[in-house]
Amino acid sequence: MSTNLKISNVTKIYPGCVANDNVSLEFNSGKIYALLGENGAGKSTLVKILSGVIIPDEGKIYLNENNLKLISPLDAKKNDIGMVFQHFNLFETLSVFENLIIDSDEQRKSLREKIDSIMKKYNFLIDLDIPVLNLSAGQKQKVEIIRCLIRNPKVLIMDEPTSVLTEQETSELFLSLKKFSEEGILIIYITHKLKEVMQLCDEVAVMRRGKLVSVSQIKNENIESLANKMVGQNLKTIKKRKAKTSSDQLINITNLNFISEDPFETNLNNINFSVNRGECLGIAGISGNGQSELFQVLSGEILSDKNSIEYNKNYIGDLNPQERREYLMAFSPEDRLEQAAIPQMAIFENVALNNFKSSNFFNNGLINENKIKEHSKKIISDFNVNTDNIELKSQFLSGGNLQKLIIGRELITAPDLLICFNPTWGLDVGAINYIHETLIKINEQNKSIILISTDTDELLKLSDKISVIHKGKLSNIMNADEVTSEKLGILMGGGN
Amino acid sequence: MIKIVKRDQPSRAIFFLTPILAIFLTLVAGGLIFYIIGFKPFEALKFFFIVPIADMYGFSELLLKATPLCLIAIGLSFCFKSNNWNIGAEGQLTFGAIVSGGVALIFYEQEGFYILPIVILAGAIGGMLYASIPAILKTYFNTNEILVSLMLVYVSKLILDYLVVGPWSNPEGFNFPETRQFSDSARLPILFDGLRIHAGIFLALAAVVASWFIFYKTYLGFQMKVSGFSLKTAKYAGYKGKKMIILVFLISGACAGLAGVGEITGPIGQLHREVSPDYGFTAIIVAFLGRLHPIGIIFASLIVAITYLGAETAQIFMQIPKYTGQVFQGMILFFLLASDYLLFFKIKFTGLKK
Repeated sequence: MSTNLKISNVTKIYPGCVANDNVSLEFNSGKIYALLGENGAGKSTLVKILSGVIIPDEGKIYLNENNLKLISPLDAKKNDIGMVFQHFNLFETLSVFENLIIDSDEQRKSLREKIDSIMKKYNFLIDLDIPVLNLSAGQKQKVEIIRCLIRNPKVLIMDEPTSVLTEQETSELFLSLKKFSEEGILIIYITHKLKEVMQLCDEVAVMRRGKLVSVSQIKNENIESLANKMVGQNLKTIKKRKAKTSSDQLINITNLNFISEDPFETNLNNINFSVNRGECLGIAGISGNGQSELFQVLSGEILSDKNSIEYNKNYIGDLNPQERREYLMAFSPEDRLEQAAIPQMAIFENVALNNFKSSNFFNNGLINENKIKEHSKKIISDFNVNTDNIELKSQFLSGGNLQKLIIGRELITAPDLLICFNPTWGLDVGAINYIHETLIKINEQNKSIILISTDTDELLKLSDKISVIHKGKLSNIMNADEVTSEKLGILMGGGN
Repeated sequence: MIKIVKRDQPSRAIFFLTPILAIFLTLVAGGLIFYIIGFKPFEALKFFFIVPIADMYGFSELLLKATPLCLIAIGLSFCFKSNNWNIGAEGQLTFGAIVSGGVALIFYEQEGFYILPIVILAGAIGGMLYASIPAILKTYFNTNEILVSLMLVYVSKLILDYLVVGPWSNPEGFNFPETRQFSDSARLPILFDGLRIHAGIFLALAAVVASWFIFYKTYLGFQMKVSGFSLKTAKYAGYKGKKMIILVFLISGACAGLAGVGEITGPIGQLHREVSPDYGFTAIIVAFLGRLHPIGIIFASLIVAITYLGAETAQIFMQIPKYTGQVFQGMILFFLLASDYLLFFKIKFTGLKK
């Protein structure tokens, strides 16, 4: 029996961000569909709507002409939609079998037989009686897949399934997915990896900024055309004037390595680059390729070898963020609400987080509230933060205003180098333009920027030089005017 | 229809009203329980909450019980505000009592103005040492501070038991499980003749003032606040998050240790098996009932102290077990947590139609 899944005019709006803007798509069984897009393009929101985790503001879902009411993950399960998330939802200390029976209402014995037959059919080799923590990532994923297969799903959604797999495991997964598809299961494969789309899928839908950009047959596409659709054409509006490049080196990174103990972090592998005064170095990449780790190493949240970072003729690899600020460095992290600011604290208290000796916010261990408030008022007026109440808790600022506050806090001390990570993520157009203009102004004042961003348009607009980070390794550093978005797309996907 | 709606922001008025609501609900539920087991509810509540503090002696007893509760809760507020769940104050109190009692025993035949400060300091250090165990295990070995601090309570109580029965027991004490009496110089002075209230109350008041000052006026307090909200932000700002964790545990341990000093060097003047009727645990309720705010904690400690006294009065006059006091403490915490729901959600009455 064939399956037809239809998404009709789905819209989901978050405060300050349209995650899905009137998206309509149709899928038929027998094919493998790719849903392609950069981070924040809205593909995860869309599949979460399909699996009942998120309820859309508008729009309907039809499965074989039936309008589905998906208000909880249980509804998706009942309607034979199975989903394997990027991060596993397994109980590590329970056995494989125990994990599988948890959400099943079948008898133990009949379930065991069913699982055995599924494993035999698809050639999965997993010991059902060992704890899940002893399994490899690929095996854990198979357990998740079996969990879906037990329910004889009509639709199987895979959310970035290869991000934790080895090459070998990836090709095994592809074989299984093809087999499922032949058996009539409709497969939706979410990814930003172009190569995988070409290898595995039959049809591809591309999303960008919440909108569906195109739907096409894979045979009519190639990696370049997909990359172009995914990252969008160059916007040529506020392209920055070519800076008079000085040869005065401000920061130089040599042989920087970071090996993490956390399996969800990315190791950094022999990073080398330098930035001159007045220059903006853009670092592109799909998120999760080491950007966060690179930011933390540069800001001093992760300490490195003293000699690996040379800044203004000082070696500072072993200094913490506060000590680095004294050398006139400034940092704007990606996560506004959990790292750069504390939503529960007042605006002026958040301003005090960036604290120099010379700013006199704290004298002899006491808080100098007047000084902090005076400084905060200046930031608010200089950087157009839309409030005049510095005692307001910062959670009541919009994303754009909070980001202006953070950038303002970092810039008002006139640093020589600003390191920012996704500075316009989730902001509306007006705020984005304001931040972009501010960043261009910094360069014009002969100050430098390291801009780590997953937004390619932004990078092409602001950078003088661009490099791409992929799996913790930096590509060659290229001049921004010689780079095209196709080229970046290919490098971001791990190509050459 | 009744609809529950999430609030856009927690209401400040509700923040301070919920403790009062919780106390009110506790009284209602308490009255109901008394009624069910066959007492007149109002009379029983009167025995519980009014009779014990109706005279000077009762009032002094109230302050006597409130002192350790307040002191410990102030210390705990440092931990709780920074998301460190130290629930082993009872153990830190006991260990502080052991160390200060040990020091006091060294001087048992001596008099001198220098003895009391040493004894007090020893108690604070003892509490700090004991609190440093869960702190260090948490920061360097990723253990869970709730489990470690709780289990250490029982360890310290067993150590105390061993000492008062064994090596430290009074040689002339006919094998009673208690030590010698401390010399007068090792004891906190009694404030009024005939009453048991002692100078320990000044320690508690000093702790209230100091904690207010540290939290609201110093850079250290600011760093603790930031680290409590988000360790990631603390790291980004360049604060030493791990040191901050150890520091709040040390402060908390010192306060609990001082409460232990008050218990043994006040009216009792010796170490014995039961240095504390679970003040360390009850102070957790006090800290939350007082909204972790110094002033709030003062009031909360007085209210919770009544439950100790009330339980004793009720035992004498109504022949019900004194553990009723713990029932009331439990109810206060229960209703407080339950009414905290109103902080984040409001109840809307939307009429009968849907």
